[in-house]
Amino acid sequence: MSALTCDRLTVAYAPGARPVVNDVSLGFATGRFTALVGPNGCGKSTLIKAIMGFLPHVTGDIALGGAALSGIPRRELARRIAYLPQENHCPDYISLAELVELGGYARYSLFGGPDERDRSLFADALATVALEGLAARPVNALSGGQRQRAWIAMILAQDTDIILLDEPVNHLDVHFQYSILDLLRALTRRGKTIVAVLHDLNLTAAFADDVVMMRDGRIFAQGPTADTISAESVRDVFDFDADVFARGGRLVCLPAHAPQAPA
Amino acid sequence: MNGRRYPAMAGILAIAIIAFIANLSFGASAMSPRSVVTALFAFDPDNYDHFVVFYQRLPRALIAVFLGAVMACGGAVLQGLTRNPLASPGILGVSSGAMLFVVIAAFLLDVPSQGQGLAAILGGFFGFLSCLLVTRLIVSSKEPHGLAFILSGAVLSMLHGAIANTIMLSSPSRRSDFLSWATGNINHVYVDRLRDFWWLGALGLVMLLAMARPLTLITLGRDKAASAGVDVTRITWLSIGAVVVSVSVAVAICGPIGFVGLVTPHIVRPLVGASFRLALPANAVLGAAICLLADLAARSAFAPHVLNTGIMMDLLGGIVFALIVKRYYLSASERGAWR
Repeated sequence: MSALTCDRLTVAYAPGARPVVNDVSLGFATGRFTALVGPNGCGKSTLIKAIMGFLPHVTGDIALGGAALSGIPRRELARRIAYLPQENHCPDYISLAELVELGGYARYSLFGGPDERDRSLFADALATVALEGLAARPVNALSGGQRQRAWIAMILAQDTDIILLDEPVNHLDVHFQYSILDLLRALTRRGKTIVAVLHDLNLTAAFADDVVMMRDGRIFAQGPTADTISAESVRDVFDFDADVFARGGRLVCLPAHAPQAPA
Repeated sequence: MNGRRYPAMAGILAIAIIAFIANLSFGASAMSPRSVVTALFAFDPDNYDHFVVFYQRLPRALIAVFLGAVMACGGAVLQGLTRNPLASPGILGVSSGAMLFVVIAAFLLDVPSQGQGLAAILGGFFGFLSCLLVTRLIVSSKEPHGLAFILSGAVLSMLHGAIANTIMLSSPSRRSDFLSWATGNINHVYVDRLRDFWWLGALGLVMLLAMARPLTLITLGRDKAASAGVDVTRITWLSIGAVVVSVSVAVAICGPIGFVGLVTPHIVRPLVGASFRLALPANAVLGAAICLLADLAARSAFAPHVLNTGIMMDLLGGIVFALIVKRYYLSASERGAWR
């Protein structure tokens, strides 16, 4: 079952310009972790931004739970879909606690604020990303890895069923890449739908339930990860010969030709 | 950091209260804070000191409070929306636009005093929109970002100021009535405009406070704010409207005084943070305190001569402007978030 679907979606950055996303139809399965992969400039981020309604020249239909997404007001949409952009900037002098509290904005009334349930949700979100002791710190005083986890805590505080993330583990060391993707997988067990743009095929193979492979704005292949990532599909999408094999029930993807040993 | 915010807030409030009492105490004749407080809370119409405090100094102090609160909040909001530390009502054309329209209304159209207040509000919108238009002519970006916006505002402010001065110079007989106002002065001459329009400024501030969370979210980026549930376009225009109206009222009362709007947000941020829910009240209170103290300094620093508050502020403002440029633009590599 798909809560979020795109039907014949085409996106351009100007009217009449070459489409960046071209005639894409897909559904993101509820309660699963879907990875969007593909070479640079293939339209992965653009697809996510188009779903969020940030791009003006979009044709085709996007539906959330069967209703047209364009007809849903921003506040209501924010209670159902959360989004983590690729680059995030926090102004100076905003504390981690304040950032996380802003994540719950869509649930607050005009002059009201977070209630008891919200506050325990914020504490959970901070504990989930292992930042619970740092709530009073300014976000910009955190390390790079902590900052990325802070943004993820803000997303968790938004408490939506669907979460879209644009390269959530970029700039992170391997420890946090694993722990954040592990966390996203754990969320799917609570019924949340996760869609993430990922660069690394091995991370995709290790953590994603489903994968959508894109090239030149079109979907090249989509389906369960194990059935979709293969030497053929990787060659066709990324233009390189890969060796894809299973090890302990998981897929591993390596260059087919070993690099020349250093002299 | 959070733990220190409420004490900082209390400190700012204490400074403002002291500044308010001090502003009422000093003048041609100094009087004790005690008699000032009695004048305010137990007014005796037969007491001459009480009369001076209540009818001469209080209106002036209230104007200073209004001006400071409105300008500082306006500056904080504009700096947040444009993500630019140099933004302020004085620099983005609002003050000069309001001033130009007041001068046109008074000199060319013979509009009476009350109508000049309305002209100021129209002029504030005119000034800001012309600034936006010129920016779009220079750069093709749709977002009012960065230095192009600030430079357009600075150039347009000069242009509007020059036109206003030309109109005033063309009518020597009435020029002297407006000269003090046009250089920016906290003075009880236009206290009737405070009485008529204060509620507009207060309404603007309440609107901004109601939008504190979405405004803070917009400082994280427009897409981020939208994904968290903010109608970015509506909040942007509502808040700009609130700023322009309240600032224009202040300009109608005291002329173009810009410095408070630029500098107060920079003092407030390290003290109570950049989240507008605390920062807006802190800006209002600290802005008021700065204007009360500047007014006091302008009256007493060169006694018996009284300096224009606007000139006093411009002197300080020029220095602070240079410091902000140095901090944010000459060491820009360290501060990616403001670009």
